[in-house]
Order: sequence, then C-alpha cells, then structure tokens
Amino acid sequence: MIKIEELTKQFKKNVVLKDINLHIKKDEVVVIIGPSGGGKSTLLRCMNALEKPTFGHVFFEGLDINDKANDINKIREKIAMVFQQFNLFPHKTALENITLAPIKLGIMNEADAINSGLKLLNMVGLADKANEYPKNLSGGQKQRVAIARSLAMKPDVILFDEPTSALDPEMIKEVLDVMKSIVGQVTMVVVTHEMNFAKEVGTRLLFLDAGEILEDTTPKVFFKNPKTDRAKDFLSKIL
Amino acid sequence: MQFLDISKLWDFSFFFNKAEVFDLMSGLLTTLSIALLGIFLGILVGILLAIGKLVGNKFIRGIVTIYINFVRGTPLLLQLYMMYYVPAFIVNELTGTGLNWSSYVISVIAIGLNSAAYVAEIFRAGITSVDKGQFEAASSLGFDYKASLRLIILPQAIKNIMPALGNEFIALTKETAIVSVIGAKDLMFFSKQAANITYNPFPPLFMAGILYFLVVYCLTKLVGLMEAKFAND
Repeated sequence: MIKIEELTKQFKKNVVLKDINLHIKKDEVVVIIGPSGGGKSTLLRCMNALEKPTFGHVFFEGLDINDKANDINKIREKIAMVFQQFNLFPHKTALENITLAPIKLGIMNEADAINSGLKLLNMVGLADKANEYPKNLSGGQKQRVAIARSLAMKPDVILFDEPTSALDPEMIKEVLDVMKSIVGQVTMVVVTHEMNFAKEVGTRLLFLDAGEILEDTTPKVFFKNPKTDRAKDFLSKIL
Repeated sequence: MQFLDISKLWDFSFFFNKAEVFDLMSGLLTTLSIALLGIFLGILVGILLAIGKLVGNKFIRGIVTIYINFVRGTPLLLQLYMMYYVPAFIVNELTGTGLNWSSYVISVIAIGLNSAAYVAEIFRAGITSVDKGQFEAASSLGFDYKASLRLIILPQAIKNIMPALGNEFIALTKETAIVSVIGAKDLMFFSKQAANITYNPFPPLFMAGILYFLVVYCLTKLVGLMEAKFAND
C-alpha cells in the first residue's frame, strides 16, 4: 500500500530521516514508537507528502506521491490523517467538519454525506454533538470527530500523528477505544507514546531513533525481546 | 508687523455663512467618496496583489513585492503627484493629446493604488495568521490550495482581515486630506478656500477638524463593534 524507498529527509543540515526503506501492507496496524525527535512524525508526514523527501521516494499504490505527474490531491483522498492538535475546522460544526470534504470533492451528494456523517458520529459516540462547533467540544470529543472526519473519505489508510498526546489523561481512553474499533476496516499507521495501545492493537511495530528504523517487528517480540541497546534503553526508561 | 488678533480664534460668525458651510459639506461628501472609492479600488487591487504574492511564480511575486515596498516606502503626496503627471505625460507622448482626468479621478486612483499595497499586506497577514494545521488538515483531506483557501482559510482569516480593513479605511479617510494639493474639491480644499475668502483661517479649519473627527470617531466605533462581533463568533 505504502512503499518507501531510500527516504532521507533533511531540514537544512539537520538529518531527520536516514535512508528509510519500508513497505506497509493492506490492513496492517503499524505502530511507530521511539524517543521524541527521532523522526516519527516526519516519517508519517512524508507518507502523505506534507513533508517532501530530500532524497528517495514514497509510493502509494505504486504511484510516486511526490511526482508532479500524479495528482497529490486525488491520492490524499485515500490517505487520511489524524493530527495531534485535532485541526478541526473551527467555523464548521462537528457534522460539517465530517461532510465538507466528501461533498465539496464530489465523493457524495449532500444527503448521502450527511447520512454517512451522522452514522460516523454515532460510531464515535457523538451523535448528540452533530451541530456543536469544535470550541464547545472537549479534547477527546474533538479528536473523535477528527477520526470520524478522516473515515468519511473512505480512505485506504489513516495516518495518526500522536493522536492522544494533546489530551487530558481521562480522555485518552475514549479516543483509543474509537481507534481500536476501526482496526481491520482500514490500514492504520500510528505514531504514539501509548505503549499499551501499541502492544494490544499493533500488528507491526517500528522503533525509530535518530532517523533510523532500528527495529521492525511485532509488538510482542519488541516488548519482550528488544534487539538493540537503544530499544532496551528506551523501554527501561518508560516501563 | 501686525499683532495677531486672537479674537479671530473664537469668531464663529463663519458658521452662519450658508454658502461656505454648504461648500464644506460638499467637500465632506467628496472626502468620503474619495475614501470609499479608494478603499474599494484598494481592496480589488489588494486582493490581486495578495493572490500574486501567495501563489504567483517568482516573477509575479517579485513585481508585487517591489510594488508594495515602493508604495509603503514613499510618501502618498509623491504618489499623488506621480499620478497627476505621469499618465498624462505618457498619453501625451504616445498620442499627442492631453489626458482629461479630473483631479477627483486622479485622487481616487492614487489613493486606491496606495491603499492596495496595505490591503494586500492585511490579506496576507490575515491568511498567514491562520494556524498552519488548518492548511494541513484541508490538504490531507484532498483539497487543493485554492479550495483550502476558499473553504477553510479565508472564512477564518476574515475575522482578522475585516477589522484591519476598517482601520485602513479610517487611516485612508484622514489621508485623503492631501488631495486638495492637486485641486480636488474635498473638505480640506473648501476649508482653505473659506479661509482665503474670509481672511480668517481658524473657523473653517476648526469646522473641518470637527467634521474629520466626527467621521473618524464613528468609523472607529464601527470597527470596534465589528471586532467584538468577530471575537464572539
């Protein structure tokens, strides 16, 4: 689904990602963990071309997403993203946040979009908040709307960029529960610090440090038998 | 040398002179219409400049930047004189005939083109003030730059843009006083004229001052209301 070849990303002279090779397959739940500043978010943002590689290529279903010949906007319709800071549209209601893209991009007519939007809101437990503006929602509720918004485009993959890092502790669970509920429906790539979520839900785990994928394994193996010293050190500090 | 007759300072007989007061009122209307047409032209051209600066290629961005820097870096008075002389000179060189723009039209164009530079910066600043996460969210849903701007960014930027435009309009209204130097018959023009007729500059200047102040005060209140409304939304 997503194939990354020899990806290097530099911000000025600062090398954030070094020669990354990665192939993410359909229906995988890939969790990306590692210390802050290790390049996790940058790697994720390269997957929908919010960041452009300095060297190397990122392919989605065989299309080089940074090739001008391919319509990046069409590609992005199939790659949804959920942000740490939610990034809901503050001038739109919860329902409008969800229906805006499907309607304006011509994916659905208005009636269908509203119908499917209401179903999605119901699925994330916010049916009663359809007409609320984001400023009247809690952080957890905002993020659940954001997940519903990403699902509305019927994407092939959803990229989660630390979706619970900006939340108060008591709201983390409601968001993780929604994320768990969509496992299997859509391919997921999740940058997270939630180790329990990674263990429980991930089908594959990447440990990223200093711009390199040091471990590419299953969560079970990683948490029991980390191979690298960096991973052992990381785990000893957080567990 | 004659001593100043300070009783002239409070000689308000002028205010009962209907012809001059009528002139001042027509001058006020001219001032307001130059300011209004000026800001209208300024918004029109300013939006084009802002678009040019945001999405134009290197060449267009360069031209726009030079234009904005020139306008903001030189006095309005100089720009007004340029508008007075340069187009007429060019038309005369090209066709051998004169250019019959009235000083009113020249004033509107000069004020409008001046304001455009400030309006462009107001739009650009309004747009860049919107959190960049909004752009990223819009892009990641599949919206192109134009649609993101129209559907997501501008509706949010407008609450910064509208009050700033209001303030620009207020500043513009005051700056129009300068157009009297090329003979546009605005409030300042008639107050100077009345001063020349009566040999007493104080009452007409005083009255013009009150009129400018009243207009600007009302506009300031309006902008304040607008700010409060947008802050609540």
